[in-house]
Amino acid sequence: MKVYAGIDIGSTSIKIVLIDESENIVAHSTNPTGASFHKNSMDAFQSLLERENIQKADILYLASTGYGRKLLKEADETISEITANAVGAKKSAEKIGTVKTVINIGGQDLKGISLDEEGNCGNFVMNDKCAAGTGRFLEMTARTLETSVDKLGELHFNLKGVPASINSTCTVFAESEIISLLANGHSHEGIVVGVHYSIAKRIARLIKRIGVEDIIFFDGGPAMNKGLVEAVENELMRELYIPDVPQITTAFGAALIARSVYHEEEVHA
Amino acid sequence: MNKITKFVNNASIKRFRFWFQIVAFFIIIYGGYAAIEIGENLPTFACPYLDKPGGTCFLMGLQHRFTLPFDQFISFRGLAIITSILFFLAGFVFLNKAWCGYVCPIGTLQDWFTKIRQKLGIRYSNYSEKKFKKLKKIKYILLALLILIPLGIANSIPGVGKLSHDWGVPFCMVCPGRTVLPIFNGDFSQLTIDFSSKTKMVFTFLGMAVTGMFFAGAFYKKRFFCFFCPMSAFQFIFKKLGLLRLVKDGSKCTKCGDCYRACDMGIREIADDVENKDIVKDDCMMCFKCVAACPEEGCLKVNFLSKTIYKATEEGFYKRTK
Amino acid sequence: MEKERIEKVKKHIRTEAALEAGQVLKKITDNFPDNPEGMKYFYDLLSRQFSEEILPKNGKKLIGTMCVQVPDELILAAGAKPVRVCSGSFPYDNAGAEFMPAKTCSMIKAIMGLFQVEDFREKFDMLVIPTTCDQKKKTTEILKDMGYEAYSLAMPSRKDDDNSRYYWQNSVKEFAADLMKKTGNKITKESLKKAFDLKNEARYEFRRLFKLRMKNPAVIYGKDAFLIANAYFTDDIESWTAALKKLNDELEKKVEEGFSVANAKVPRFLFTGSPPIFPNMKIPLLVEEAGGLIAIDEVCSSSRLLYDMPSYDEQGLYDMIPAIADCYLKPCTCPCFVPNEERKDKISNLIDMFNIDGVIYQAFSGCQLYEMEQKLIGNFLMKKGVPMLYIESDYSPEDTGQLSTRVEAFIESIKMKKKSSAAKKEENKKDKK
Repeated sequence: MKVYAGIDIGSTSIKIVLIDESENIVAHSTNPTGASFHKNSMDAFQSLLERENIQKADILYLASTGYGRKLLKEADETISEITANAVGAKKSAEKIGTVKTVINIGGQDLKGISLDEEGNCGNFVMNDKCAAGTGRFLEMTARTLETSVDKLGELHFNLKGVPASINSTCTVFAESEIISLLANGHSHEGIVVGVHYSIAKRIARLIKRIGVEDIIFFDGGPAMNKGLVEAVENELMRELYIPDVPQITTAFGAALIARSVYHEEEVHA
Repeated sequence: MNKITKFVNNASIKRFRFWFQIVAFFIIIYGGYAAIEIGENLPTFACPYLDKPGGTCFLMGLQHRFTLPFDQFISFRGLAIITSILFFLAGFVFLNKAWCGYVCPIGTLQDWFTKIRQKLGIRYSNYSEKKFKKLKKIKYILLALLILIPLGIANSIPGVGKLSHDWGVPFCMVCPGRTVLPIFNGDFSQLTIDFSSKTKMVFTFLGMAVTGMFFAGAFYKKRFFCFFCPMSAFQFIFKKLGLLRLVKDGSKCTKCGDCYRACDMGIREIADDVENKDIVKDDCMMCFKCVAACPEEGCLKVNFLSKTIYKATEEGFYKRTK
Repeated sequence: MEKERIEKVKKHIRTEAALEAGQVLKKITDNFPDNPEGMKYFYDLLSRQFSEEILPKNGKKLIGTMCVQVPDELILAAGAKPVRVCSGSFPYDNAGAEFMPAKTCSMIKAIMGLFQVEDFREKFDMLVIPTTCDQKKKTTEILKDMGYEAYSLAMPSRKDDDNSRYYWQNSVKEFAADLMKKTGNKITKESLKKAFDLKNEARYEFRRLFKLRMKNPAVIYGKDAFLIANAYFTDDIESWTAALKKLNDELEKKVEEGFSVANAKVPRFLFTGSPPIFPNMKIPLLVEEAGGLIAIDEVCSSSRLLYDMPSYDEQGLYDMIPAIADCYLKPCTCPCFVPNEERKDKISNLIDMFNIDGVIYQAFSGCQLYEMEQKLIGNFLMKKGVPMLYIESDYSPEDTGQLSTRVEAFIESIKMKKKSSAAKKEENKKDKK
């Protein structure tokens, strides 16, 4: 089977999606990025091919995106994660309607994208060098509370009593704030809820700059955290659409772009 | 054709205007000697007090024609007012307000005073924005008076009665055209005060005062008298009929103010108005110095019958400033 | 001992600054093909920025200036050399950060760092700083405190009424008088006329380049255009004009030959906001390396610098000096003025004239005026239907990763829009047939 590949080299994990000619996802994987971007991406790619029993020659086109996109010299095309995310989100939610707003939380960034009628990326916002309110923030919280990131959602819904209020969105300042909250005897659950709302507030402030319209698509690893989703929904007072595998949307978008670029080149050739 | 347009756009409008004004000046002051007679209803100060002018000023006739009893308005005499205005317009439409900037002998004289001042290296004076706005109104008051007073001679004003014939041609009595232009015929007789009646004395005295102010004012302030000129006010009513136009393309304007600096009349809108195409204000005398001073390609244009005959060009600007 | 240590630190900063300038120049020259022959002069000049040979010889006084509003003509007429000292250097920015408040903009910090590290007290006879933004205003006092001869050139905050106009004219007149005292040379109408002509010649060439940049496909990159204007900061005006004339001739020939640096499909951008000053070419380079083209800019370090031409009506100082003053006030689109509708008009005109697909708006963090005016320009552009990318940044290279993602996404979105609008046009054509 001939496939198109999209690879999203993010700051925390490498996501790979393979699609077929009719734009269906054939296979996908998520692996940690680690410190050697290039080697780890190639390894992840290789193991996915082996797992799915696909030959390298069957890959018609490979598009890379994400923070480390330029390092992957093997890619036929590099594309920014904002465009890839918009394309992926539009396609993923096709069955329920037209996506107008995309919220993405990555390992070290926070993005809001507004799509125009045709699904092109219209306006977008992104945090600058500060990693406040990103996946890093959740990781730090989990580490400080001696738990893992995927347990945070569970803790969120176990809250009995009042949530703690976290005023700081800065990852560095928030850490000391959490420690002082612990020292004052606040519950872990309360702190987690506080952290979720703190991130949600920052997201709301950021994406209000581009205007919020339904359908709102929420993706990236942290979108798997149900507690965070609830917090964001409450802050925006709107419902969010979460795809089945939220972390691979951008890689899926890259694969879709790979397919369309391949066809365009075919036409020209 | 292209070469001609280029030549015209690069030309120094100052020099062209200087010579045009001299020719116009001589035709108006001495035209009669060469049997030149361009009409009785000229939209410029061609003073009838001159020996043999090349034409006569519309305003004098207008004042005479308005010495008219109300019941005679619908009559042959009333019709004369309309026909005279039509004659006025027949001349006016060709040059529009450029009659002031290129033909008017009083205007030309003032420009010569300015030249002398510049040669002497003496700085000019200017009105402040506020004063400017106040002074602008005077010409309309004068225009109203030069029609109302003649009406007052022919008709009885309740409580005052009819004005005496000494009030005749009131504007001419205070116009510097009457006192100054005959000097070019060697005639100084208008520079006197007429003591024959109280009214005449007051009027001729005012005329002398205006003449004094005219000399002093025009020396320090460019086109000093033109702010007060009722002819300019009258022309402005008909400016839409003019075939010669000054137009501005506001989208090309950077508001650099070069045109405003060049404007002898100190019209702010020329630089600040980027909305209106038609930029001619009541004080404008269409000298087109602003067009010559504009560095933006095609921002200011002179059109005749909607055809551009002169426009601002970068090259022209550069050539002229060198 | 202490003195030696300080000298060592200064030397280190100087080396770092030279290194940075070298690296940026290398990027500018090596990462792009077909650099024009005529650009060599400017590359070379910038590599020697603020070195001894740039400073004037034969006893000419040196007057440092900041901001575009300082009338160079007067300085030239007084027989001195004007040098604009606004700096774009990150090492000097760091040096300035040591004693300036944290929220100061990078440019101010870099200027202060430069004047702290390099002992310019002997070299500059005067530093002229207009009262544009609050940070520049206070800079004057701090420089004075450091022992510099700093001169505050009073500017009004408005430019649309006569009060401000006369206020500014008077302040320029006073400046002319003070310059005469400082330099010991008289400004006469002859010397001013000469300075006028010199600067107008420079402006004429600058406008030629401006028109060349309108060509689509483009003949010159935006990065080069920035460098040309930057070179004007320190160069002798005659040699700068001559070098630009040569470059313009070369480019005109290239246009005739059908040469271009970017095809007509490349998205064309207008750059506005805080000024990129060499070596801080971070954003322009990001844009052009990612496949965009900065077709034109609206910044005080480039197209605002030499565009507007003054003209006077009467040749006498009483008319010439106010004419110069007017030219530096009325058309200026610095956000330090209220109201500043002219900036919107100008941006809008440039967009139409240069076939612009998108606007890139840079604001230095800490530059309140540009940060705040961003909203106004953004709203205006939204109504006009031109997309804008707003970037808040400073001189440090640490945010390049994030910035390149944003810049690339912006370029991609414009490419997509162009593609779909081109497709629509095709369809319309077909329908008509």
